[in-house]
Amino acid sequence: MKISKFLLSMFLLSILFVSCDDDDELELPKGDYENGIIISGEGGANGSVYYVSDDYATTESLIYKKVNNEDLGHYLQSIAFDNSNAYILVDNVNTITVVDRYTFLKKGTINTGLLNPRYMTVANGMGYATNWGSTSDATDDYVAIIDLDSYTVTSTIPVGNGPERIVTKDGKLYVSHKGAYTTNNKVTVIDIASKATLEIEVKDNPDELFFDNSGHLVVLSEGNTIYDSSWNVIGQTQSAISKINTSTNNIDEEIVFPEGLNPTLLVTHGTNMYYNLGSKIFKLGNSDSSLPSTEFINTEAAYLYGMEVNDESLFILDASFSQESKLDIYNLATKEKTISAAAPISASKIYFN
Amino acid sequence: MTRYLLIIFIFLFGSKGFAQLDSIQQLKVVNLNTVKLHKHSKGYKVFALSDSVIVKNTESFTTLLRFNTPIYIKEYGAGGTSTASFRGTSAPNTAVVWNGININSINNGQTGFNALTVNLIDKINVRSGGGSIEFGSGAIGGTIHLNDQLQFGKHIENQFVSSVGSYNTYNNLYKFSFGNDAIAVKFGASYNISENDYKWLGTDGLKNENGAYDNLSFTLGFAYKLNKFSKLSLFSSKFAGNREFSGTLPNPSAAKEKYKDYNFRNLITYKYYKDEFTHVVKFAFLTQEYQYFANKNFDSFNFGNSKRYLLKYDLNYKLSSNSSIETFSELESVFGKTDEIEEKNRKQFSQSIIYTHQIQNIGSINAKVRKDFNSNYKIPLVFALGAELAPLKNTFFRLNGSKNYRVPTYNDLYWPALGNSNLIPESSLQGEFGLGYKANKIKLDVGVYYINSKDKIVWTPGGDPERPGVWTPINVAEATNKGVEFTATLNKAINRHIFNFNLNYSYTIAKDKSTNNYLTYVPKHLANGSLGYSYKRFSAFYQHLFTGKIYTTTDNLDNYTVPYYNVGNVGVNYNILKTNNNQLGIGIKVSNVFNKEYQVLPGRPMPNRNFNININYKF
Repeated sequence: MKISKFLLSMFLLSILFVSCDDDDELELPKGDYENGIIISGEGGANGSVYYVSDDYATTESLIYKKVNNEDLGHYLQSIAFDNSNAYILVDNVNTITVVDRYTFLKKGTINTGLLNPRYMTVANGMGYATNWGSTSDATDDYVAIIDLDSYTVTSTIPVGNGPERIVTKDGKLYVSHKGAYTTNNKVTVIDIASKATLEIEVKDNPDELFFDNSGHLVVLSEGNTIYDSSWNVIGQTQSAISKINTSTNNIDEEIVFPEGLNPTLLVTHGTNMYYNLGSKIFKLGNSDSSLPSTEFINTEAAYLYGMEVNDESLFILDASFSQESKLDIYNLATKEKTISAAAPISASKIYFN
Repeated sequence: MTRYLLIIFIFLFGSKGFAQLDSIQQLKVVNLNTVKLHKHSKGYKVFALSDSVIVKNTESFTTLLRFNTPIYIKEYGAGGTSTASFRGTSAPNTAVVWNGININSINNGQTGFNALTVNLIDKINVRSGGGSIEFGSGAIGGTIHLNDQLQFGKHIENQFVSSVGSYNTYNNLYKFSFGNDAIAVKFGASYNISENDYKWLGTDGLKNENGAYDNLSFTLGFAYKLNKFSKLSLFSSKFAGNREFSGTLPNPSAAKEKYKDYNFRNLITYKYYKDEFTHVVKFAFLTQEYQYFANKNFDSFNFGNSKRYLLKYDLNYKLSSNSSIETFSELESVFGKTDEIEEKNRKQFSQSIIYTHQIQNIGSINAKVRKDFNSNYKIPLVFALGAELAPLKNTFFRLNGSKNYRVPTYNDLYWPALGNSNLIPESSLQGEFGLGYKANKIKLDVGVYYINSKDKIVWTPGGDPERPGVWTPINVAEATNKGVEFTATLNKAINRHIFNFNLNYSYTIAKDKSTNNYLTYVPKHLANGSLGYSYKRFSAFYQHLFTGKIYTTTDNLDNYTVPYYNVGNVGVNYNILKTNNNQLGIGIKVSNVFNKEYQVLPGRPMPNRNFNININYKF
């Protein structure tokens, strides 16, 4: 259905092109990678970006390398977007590479003032990137403030250990602290204007962070692995989905997972959330207060490493670290796998472009 | 320490007392391990790198091997971590052997080729093919032998080699050797230091940041003839190295890692030989330590260290003038720990038997068998057979077959939360057939081999089905490696113009049996060669390396390959002084003479054209 719709629109578009060359209202394509899915992989030697067309019919590998004839370095942690640009964060080389989000043509590089950059968000034309700092020091972590005209880090906001995801709303930044190589249990709220910070305590190792349709800030705490004195794994602290009220900064609701069940991925679309336990995906209504007892889809992925969802489909990344990963697309209505496509090495993130 | 003071004393005493003894006599070289290696290598190809080649390539062990042997070396930027692969096998399938003792790390089963210097080693032999019977774990693809050499007979010799090169590189070594009828002594010291901040070709002014290194090593050898039938010898070597680990594209300034290595090796040998029997008792004590600094600006580091005690007894019984039987008994106790692994002890007893037989005018054979008893796991019985037949003048056939193994490392077994104590040793079966021609001025050898390895230890995120995504080691892969190797050496003299030519070429097909894909980081084609010319006191050389394309992903995607490259070095030497007692040479070497942009591993450009001036004084 989707494909036929797309083909139809292509057909109509081609007629428009042919018939009315001087039509002012026609929007020209912004680039080869407009309308499609961008998948990033952390990489072995080099992180990479793949593109899957909107109709899922074609996959183009290594689009950054193809357009710019160079590699990104390792490890590609995440990509942030604004209206025109994509910001590719590569942690081990302390680099954010700026590209046009639709052509992937390189526009600049930010590589001073960054130290293990992880995630970035854009607010009022400025970039805010979380940085672990040196992994030998748990007290030098910060959010870098980036001038997106000059591509330079203009100042920093010190934060607690291991800042991970960052989102923005109403003049505030919200940062989850997964704890880098150790552990942490905080979400930091930063007032952009005053740079004042405050911390909200959640369960251990908060990672995924987003606003749901009710306006709550939702955070997934993955739980922290516990070892005995000789470093044997003896358990993991409890995971939780916490819903923070951003006007009071209180946790309105916290759904705690039973011991031994530790999700690593959480996404939302519309009125639902989807999380994983191993390779199984569970569906949870945004207003549900208890966890579902059975899975929504059993993906049978060897290593479920990334997830995204839209109106029709659930997208998962079955990651390989030694060869190309797989993007598997499941129809939400039928729960059947519809498409399987190639994805980058150690594929971890999916973005709709 | 006292031992070093003693030897310095001997050196001072020696240079005063015996300096006038200039009559060079026929010197008797004592190098038991080289002799034994050749005796036990019937049917194998053994390369020899003499001290004159070694002192010409003092910049690194990696470079020495890369340009002179058929070994593929994975180097994480010049001067960085460096591991060897023989015939497409993995890094822990290459054993490095110091005076007969396998010195691969207990923690990771490998030897880092930039974590030791060989400037002071007198003789390096490289043997292709399995050797677990003589050298234990990891001797699957091949073995690299570092042998000290001592000389009895009246002599006293000093050698000083010093070089200055690009990127503030200084290599210095001093060797002293003294001997008389009953005593042989040697001492050496070497110090190397480099900024190693070479330009990254093909980039906008990037440099190899955080790549500096320095290292200091000492070596000591002593042998004493107790009487007509017995001899005592002692070898000791100490190494301390500091290295930074350089960065990667596109931002080398992000690199902050630092690494320190220390190793200390001691071997004492008592040999008694009378009539048909030779008894050798050896005791060795070896320590290794590394410190890894994730950020050189901080004091915190991770570490690993090991202590090994070895007691060996070798008995050689000469059955007849052309056959012998030898037994080797070895008791080993290893203690290893890291900052995250508590000290673990592993004990092993091994017994091997080697039978050697020579048939006059036809050839010689070795038959070998070994059984190990290990406190941690079962090690398979291994065996080998080798034969060299020369039925025709100048032409020979060689044949060998062996079963070999590699035990899991401490990291594989005990890594916190990840190690797998149920691992079993990898094992491999292999065979080789070669054909050669050997005459005065020409040596040719072509061989084919086949290796089948199973239960290979692989770290994978699916290792433990209970914990997807957690990297753990498992015995999983089965691989087959096959290939062709060709070696040629030619010497030609026209009047006083002497030419020599060396070529090594290997064609390697290494595949994962389950997928039938090529193994990663194995070039199908690898060739190196050198052309030398000398006339009176002048000599010049050119050396060349070709490394074929490698795959970096297990699905062999063309998008993720490291392209082939060619790189060449050129050098000239002139002997200012050349008498029996004094030799003074000066040389210039230009590495990467064509200024080629190349990478051995992705994201890590290798050095641009660089220069080195050296002096070599022997007196």
